[in-house]
Amino acid sequence: MKRREAIQQAALMMGGLLSAPTLAGAMGRITNTGPSVSVSAEQEALLAEVADVIIPTTTTPGAKAAGAEKFIVRVMRDCYPKSDQESFYAGLAKLDTTSKTKFGKGFMELDAAQKNEIVKQSMTDDKPFFLRMKELTTTGYFTSEIGATKALEYLPVPGQFNGCMPMKPGQKTWAL
Amino acid sequence: MNLNIDAIKEMTYDAIVIGSGVTGGWASKELTEKGLKVLMLEKGHQLEHVTGYEYAMKDPWQTKYNGRLTMEQKETHPKLMRDYPYNEMTETYWMKDIDSNYKEVKRFDWYRPNIVGGKSIMWGRQSYRLSDIDFEANAREGIAVDWPIRYKDVAPWYSYVEKVVGISGEALNLPQLPDSEFLPPMEMYCVEKEVRKRIEKNFPGRTMTIGRVANLSKAAQAQLGIGRAPCQYRNKCSLGCPYGAYFSTQSCTLPYAAKTGRLTLRPDSVVTEIIYDENQKRATGVRVIDAVTLQAREYFAKVIFVCGSALGSTAIMLNSKSNRFPNGIGNDSEQLGHNLMDHHFRIGASGDWEGDLDKYYIGRRANGIYVPRYRNIGNDKRDYVRGFGYQGGGSRQNWQRNIAELSFGADYKEELTKPGPWTMGLGGFGETLPYYENRMYLDKNEKDKWGMPLVVFDAELKENEKKMRVDMMNDAKEMLESAGVKNVKAYDRGSYLGMAIHEMGTARMGRDPKTSVLNGNNQMHGVKNVFVTDGACMVSASCVNPSLTYMALTARAADFAVKEMKRKSI
Repeated sequence: MKRREAIQQAALMMGGLLSAPTLAGAMGRITNTGPSVSVSAEQEALLAEVADVIIPTTTTPGAKAAGAEKFIVRVMRDCYPKSDQESFYAGLAKLDTTSKTKFGKGFMELDAAQKNEIVKQSMTDDKPFFLRMKELTTTGYFTSEIGATKALEYLPVPGQFNGCMPMKPGQKTWAL
Repeated sequence: MNLNIDAIKEMTYDAIVIGSGVTGGWASKELTEKGLKVLMLEKGHQLEHVTGYEYAMKDPWQTKYNGRLTMEQKETHPKLMRDYPYNEMTETYWMKDIDSNYKEVKRFDWYRPNIVGGKSIMWGRQSYRLSDIDFEANAREGIAVDWPIRYKDVAPWYSYVEKVVGISGEALNLPQLPDSEFLPPMEMYCVEKEVRKRIEKNFPGRTMTIGRVANLSKAAQAQLGIGRAPCQYRNKCSLGCPYGAYFSTQSCTLPYAAKTGRLTLRPDSVVTEIIYDENQKRATGVRVIDAVTLQAREYFAKVIFVCGSALGSTAIMLNSKSNRFPNGIGNDSEQLGHNLMDHHFRIGASGDWEGDLDKYYIGRRANGIYVPRYRNIGNDKRDYVRGFGYQGGGSRQNWQRNIAELSFGADYKEELTKPGPWTMGLGGFGETLPYYENRMYLDKNEKDKWGMPLVVFDAELKENEKKMRVDMMNDAKEMLESAGVKNVKAYDRGSYLGMAIHEMGTARMGRDPKTSVLNGNNQMHGVKNVFVTDGACMVSASCVNPSLTYMALTARAADFAVKEMKRKSI
């Protein structure tokens, strides 16, 4: 008998185990009812553009090149309750609407200065959206392969510890 | 479903060890090396050394959420999710609350591993000896009962285990914090070196040292011989160390025990009960439920070492009822489940260090600093008893700073690619007194997935701890400020019992069987072939991290047990 079958048989003997969400619900937790907010390719592309304004390409590649939007979509989908997902994507939509109202075109079509202006405006228009977007962009970027190894200095296995040494010129922040 | 199909003979060993964590590993090592055929039973699943450490060698971009929990993980671990040890990378190491829920008359945070190796995989590795100031405290102050042992009884066993484990640290020759057998200390950051000097100058009698930690700063021949390598300074210890550089069951005690050829390890084995034979007046074995198939089995042995973590062991003992022991095996004293202790913490101060911007470091030190206890020692007298130590340290801010600021763009990014300013912090770890009314007990109705009654917690911090916390917060602020740390902010994030994961005391030692469960050799007063050597045995909590003491007491008890077996007295 395979392990999985054994577990199922045991579950039947016990009168059937309750599913995880059912049990969690019974224990009084707020559960993530219903499916997560679905995110279109357009929304994902828009996230990438906004992320790239928060962390742009400088001497090193920026958030879009690092694929930070994939981290943002994944974390919002799996780690936040549906209500938080809804407000986050409403914030993103509002940013695009502001862009259309102000410049007559969507955020994707703006030039760099206009994009900056719209993101800056989101700090006052929808501060929770801006801060969450900034936090997820920053984390997604600096923990990406590009962010950790190009923008920062990545040393997975130091093999030594020296706690008090002169800092060398041009020293970048340790990625870890 | 066939029950008990194996022949009794095949189910019989010289010794059964319940649990495979810090103490279960030590008991198995010592008992097998002394010639016993040992069965080690672990409730959790197998976790192979090196290959089982799924996240240990992953880069940050190979994680899905950079440590965050998913909604589903929060739902299956509604209590465990309340604090940091449970995260994306360690998810499979912890038990699901929904598999074995527990009840809280008062909030209690119970961290239960679900793996071979138990908490020896995720432990903080800080390792300190108790002193006679600790062993004499209850007697001196008339609190609870006296420890039946003193420092001199344990000192050789501390040395014995330390030489195997490998403790990195600095000798200080302090009466309140005896030195271990040390490997070279890890280095302090420049800021820590300076703060230490100033604390020692401004507060005579106080000092700050590097943490004493069970990581190999240097590997001895014996350690290399069982496959352990020196610390690589990755600071990913709690994921499991592929180098075996810190002490865990897998890196250390398990290979020693396995080498004897006398160890049988059974993961997925939930011990529900110790079997007591009324005629023989001894424990004859244990009842086990297979965690996966839910099949029931019994195993038999001449001696039983209960090492299932303080509260896990106590639950098993409370559930082991017989005519002789209607309220749990060995519970003549009615102390079983009482005197529940932990350390209280999450309080202290931190601030900015304006210097050393031209100083950096290489390597990630999986260790901090330690300020040994100084309160209620010598002439110092406070309005509470006992004391506290501080853990903490300096750090140079990384890319995570300014994340909550209203800034973005090229300047924001470029700023984060350069090291930020230094900070320095101290966090107190305080002793909790053993109160009879702080307790755990078994629920009369509800059972978990494996048929074990749910554990109920009813324990809290009281006046002595609350008074101590005032000092813990103010002293930290005062020391940092006088050392030149700027913008020092004191904090009290609140501490619930269980959070420090130093739970202990629920089957205490003592001289009198009327008031204690175990004698000075961790032997059950009422059942001579049962030994409890995990945190349950503690009579008082001290303020230092307890695992090293559990190791020493386990090795000592194993030595005693085998001698008694040879004398045929058990």
